[in-house]
Amino acid sequence: MSGFGGFVLRRTVGALVTLLAISVIIYVVFYVTPGNVAQISCGPRCSPAQVHQVAQQLHLDDPLYQRYWHFLEGLFAGQDYSTGTSVAHCPAPCLGLSYQSDRQVTDIILTKLPVSLSLVSGAMVIWLVLGVGTGVLSAWRRGRFTERALTAVTLAGTATPVFVIGLVLMIVVCGELRLLPFPQYVKFTDDPEQWAWNLLLPWLSLALIEAAAFARLTRAAMLETLAEDHVRTFRAYGVSERSVVGRHALRGALAPVIALNANNFGGAVGGAVLTETLFGLPGIGQELVHAVKVVDLPVVVGMVLVIGFFVVIANAVADVLYAVADRRVVLA
Amino acid sequence: MSEALVATQAPGTDTTVPGASGARQFWRRLRAQRAALVAAAVVALLVLVALAAPLLTALEGQDPTTYHPSLIDSARGGVPIGSFGGAGGGHWLGVEPQTGRDLFARLVYGARVSLGVALAATAIQVTLGVLIGVASALGSRLVDQLLSRITDIIIALPLMIMALALLAIVPTSFPRPVLVTFVIGLIAWGNIAKITRAQTLTLKGLDHVAAARLSGWGTWRIARRELLPGLAAPVITYAALLVPINISIEAALSFLGVGVKPPTPSWGQMLTAADVWYQAAPQYLLLPAGALFVTVVALTVLGDGVRTALDPRAASRLRVGTGAKGEGRAAGAAKGDDGTPGAGKEGAA
Amino acid sequence: MRQPSVIARRVAAASVSLVVAAGAAACGPKDNDAKGSAGDSAPHKGGTLTVLNSNPQQDFDPARLYTSGGGNVPSLVFRTLTTRNRENGAAGAEVVPDLATDTGRPSKDATVWTYTLRKGLKYEDGTPITSADIKYGIERSFAPELSGGAPYLRDWLVGAAGYQGPYKDKKGLSAIETPDERTIVFHLNKPEGEFPYLATQTQFAPVPKAKDTGTKYEEHPVSSGPYKVVGNENDGEHLVLKRNTYWSTAVDAERKAYPDTIDVRSGLDSSVINQRLSASQGADAAAVTTDTNLGPAELAKVTGDKELAARVGTGHFGYTNYIAFNPKVKPFDDPKVRRAISYAVDRSSVVNAAGGSALAEPATTFLPDQKSFGHTPYDPFPAGRSGNAAKARELLAQAGHRNGLTVTLTHSNSKDFETSPEIATAIQDALKKAGITVKLQGLEENDYSDKIHDVKTEPGFFLAHWGADWPSGGPFLAPIFDGRQIVKDGANFNTGLLDDKSVNDEIDAINKLTDLDAAAERWGALDKKIGEQALVVPLFHPVYKRLYGEDVRNIVISDWTGVLDISQVAVK
Repeated sequence: MSGFGGFVLRRTVGALVTLLAISVIIYVVFYVTPGNVAQISCGPRCSPAQVHQVAQQLHLDDPLYQRYWHFLEGLFAGQDYSTGTSVAHCPAPCLGLSYQSDRQVTDIILTKLPVSLSLVSGAMVIWLVLGVGTGVLSAWRRGRFTERALTAVTLAGTATPVFVIGLVLMIVVCGELRLLPFPQYVKFTDDPEQWAWNLLLPWLSLALIEAAAFARLTRAAMLETLAEDHVRTFRAYGVSERSVVGRHALRGALAPVIALNANNFGGAVGGAVLTETLFGLPGIGQELVHAVKVVDLPVVVGMVLVIGFFVVIANAVADVLYAVADRRVVLA
Repeated sequence: MSEALVATQAPGTDTTVPGASGARQFWRRLRAQRAALVAAAVVALLVLVALAAPLLTALEGQDPTTYHPSLIDSARGGVPIGSFGGAGGGHWLGVEPQTGRDLFARLVYGARVSLGVALAATAIQVTLGVLIGVASALGSRLVDQLLSRITDIIIALPLMIMALALLAIVPTSFPRPVLVTFVIGLIAWGNIAKITRAQTLTLKGLDHVAAARLSGWGTWRIARRELLPGLAAPVITYAALLVPINISIEAALSFLGVGVKPPTPSWGQMLTAADVWYQAAPQYLLLPAGALFVTVVALTVLGDGVRTALDPRAASRLRVGTGAKGEGRAAGAAKGDDGTPGAGKEGAA
Repeated sequence: MRQPSVIARRVAAASVSLVVAAGAAACGPKDNDAKGSAGDSAPHKGGTLTVLNSNPQQDFDPARLYTSGGGNVPSLVFRTLTTRNRENGAAGAEVVPDLATDTGRPSKDATVWTYTLRKGLKYEDGTPITSADIKYGIERSFAPELSGGAPYLRDWLVGAAGYQGPYKDKKGLSAIETPDERTIVFHLNKPEGEFPYLATQTQFAPVPKAKDTGTKYEEHPVSSGPYKVVGNENDGEHLVLKRNTYWSTAVDAERKAYPDTIDVRSGLDSSVINQRLSASQGADAAAVTTDTNLGPAELAKVTGDKELAARVGTGHFGYTNYIAFNPKVKPFDDPKVRRAISYAVDRSSVVNAAGGSALAEPATTFLPDQKSFGHTPYDPFPAGRSGNAAKARELLAQAGHRNGLTVTLTHSNSKDFETSPEIATAIQDALKKAGITVKLQGLEENDYSDKIHDVKTEPGFFLAHWGADWPSGGPFLAPIFDGRQIVKDGANFNTGLLDDKSVNDEIDAINKLTDLDAAAERWGALDKKIGEQALVVPLFHPVYKRLYGEDVRNIVISDWTGVLDISQVAVK
């Protein structure tokens, strides 16, 4: 099967295989992780009998393959569980219940995902503008002071960890200069304007880290294109430099930029742990780190799968965009 | 995973195989770039400082682990007494809050750990990535599929989470900096594998390689003689970019509490601890941050210089640039917010 | 930066503290609000109080919470039979009645306790609170689905050991009788003079059976206190409380409940919390924190600033950080070695590692330095300010280790308030001078918890900490030193593995006393006696310093919790 349909099919199958493999890896890794999960879940002063009961409830003493099978069953058929006073149902795809809070993992993901997506989307806009803008300027004004200055700024972004940039920004902008109030996450559905204002600093911090890569990439790709034959031809025919840079070179640079961006976005959804922790954003990254620390396996598996899903989608989108932008590439 | 480039041969890619004269050319081109030379000198200096740490601290007369409680004000949270963080009087860069340990000593010993971990992790990533990438590109379709799938999985696994989990599993009797090196090395090789695979695929289709195969050369001989030199450019560029990324990962792991353990100093650990002291003792933060900044900039500029020197076409370009079309996206070294290349941030190579 | 403190659920009482004094009346007599700002500084009703915390109000279900004295935020919603006295200082470490009319009437041998409920108690929906509700609230805390809390109910109530909770066991707990709607009687296995203290825990909050939804109850628990839960997002990450109109000060002598709304936000970074409280802008001017201390860096900044320093509440937290020995592991089986280490410890560098002398006080006794614990000062192996290396060497020589000793110190890798890795390093540095080479073994938090609480894997020499469930020597000493509390197949806290009949008997004898002052004295004496065995080396007691916003008034910090009491603050 060829063409776009074949591509989609192949990618979907590949994605499923990847996600399945990831879930197995997580299960195995956490199976060997030290920590008395039942004790952590029950409470520090629980008696041995209570801990044993919790272990039974959570199937912690079952062999690994059985626990994984239980997980798969829940994924495809849903799960019934007791709330004490009644029996509740976790509809398929059920990623299980958190060991810590008894909440359905899917619910947890649904509340946290929008936060992470908010963070990454906004940051993406800024890193694209900043990064590509800097790259274009660098390519255009090559050799001049502006180029070097901008390059230095973007390099500074790469060279400083986000928790340093973020905290210093907050202290200076909110604490000392009092330009903005300290950020506190507001849901988009509650107040879009406040949502944006409160995410401004997190967006900036995250974007500064990424912008450098884009700046350099854009610059390189543009320079590459500018040196190519057809562009020289344009120049020979008297097309203005501005037009050459703005239209022809930039278009050549767009393909890799778009592709890179799609990947960054996919990974950052779950990878922006430090930013979320620093700014107190209740997103996936922060929750995931906490879940790992308390060995809350269902939450870890659920969230890693969600992240994996985004990465896989992002990769696919990147490939499509790249193929669309550069007709020499064949989608296989 | 992208199979999208199977049939591509980007016209702008230079795949001239540098021979013996190529090596000389490379050095000539490298020497012609001022910025790269300065950067190389800085990197060399940093490595020297890291290696000579015991000597330097002996010169100063301090060591990184001795506490000096008299130099800090215990009632005020342990802030160093005196201006510039207690600098002077045998402590060239002042002392650390709460412990009174010498900052210069901790900085240079920290360089050892940070640079050592980053360089070693990069070496692991490059080795693994190149091996898998080449094997994937040269192997049968099944091998390719399998290895590509594995690469995808590695890229899709969230870096920080895997690091946290792995660091919790291994017993703490295992030396921590070595463990951190291995963990970083083993979970972040995905992108370089992808780049290598893509470039190998491109090279595979070239005339001289076809000629070699027709002459009956074995796969590994072809790989060594014809392919590896062509891979040098993208791999070296990316490797130079990986080192600062790995330093950032180490810092991120310290921030999350699973990096190297006290009393071993490392820049990541110092940054994590110093973050809150920004207002009360700013030099505690600025020193490691400054050191990190200088290191990263130097490595980046050097990496770009090397890359430019390897690719003759780049002679017409200026300093900081990334490679040919096929690897342009790849070498853009996109990162997560911890500066990692994890989770599929690489362009579909 | 991050004090990602897993707030020890075994948070306990506090002791004498320097406090920003405050009045207790509603709107009237002036308080000594240290701000001394212009205008009326008396507290008034109204406004919204914001609470900025690191840790979420997880499992906001009275059956599951593990608090000291009912907790800070929880006790706004869950009233209990008795509660902490909401006063400053030592008076705040006393038990006073809450839903009950007195602190309980014991039988002659303190095995039967009787309480009568006040009149006019209502839930947030207007229905009356009955004693059967309190019985039900305690019973449901035994359900496996609602695990958590402290172990006392299971151990103390007659026949409760195997009880599975009301969802499985329809018969209920026979140990609790409710002869009428306002009376409740408890039958205990052994004499327990401190039962009134236990009755401050949230398990003693009433839960109407008809409204019980099991594990979902925490989403909207029925309030018996001055506030009701109107929003609970993400399991306690964002909790919004509004005034409960069926509550009034007429039926509650302790809580003031000035603000109309309380907005509890968690998941924030601790240094950001401190920055926000310092800046005190906008809504943050009416903000407090209940779980985030000033770290040493923030303290350094605050001490230099008069305005900020005036907005810091200081409380002493009844908690001890110490080094524990396992006498079953060589060379710690030899008391001389343990004593040598006790002499060699440098408490001043440990205090510095913990944040400096303003945030930690050196400790030589296991019991916290507070009257309610019956603190008796003693220092059997005086190490002086920075350790007595000479004496330590002498003892080691006597024990046959003339050329020094090599030992391994186990500690947790997690950076919490006790900053274990730094403390371990400080100890390593100090013991070097006594000829003891210390190898550090840092374990991940979970691994560490597992190992030290399991008699089979307990290391010989490790860092530990302990806080009491209420401000008395009982819960502080018994779980650690009572031989009968050694748990062989589960979480064991008697890490010294002490099983001394005279100690056990003394504990029983003190438990018979209902005169809490007399009991305190004997706990203090017992502490001293145990201290001579050098089974632990006390290191320091933490001091709590917390910022609050500019508009916050009526700060009351008791010796029970060491932090400001939310039920007392006003924002207008």
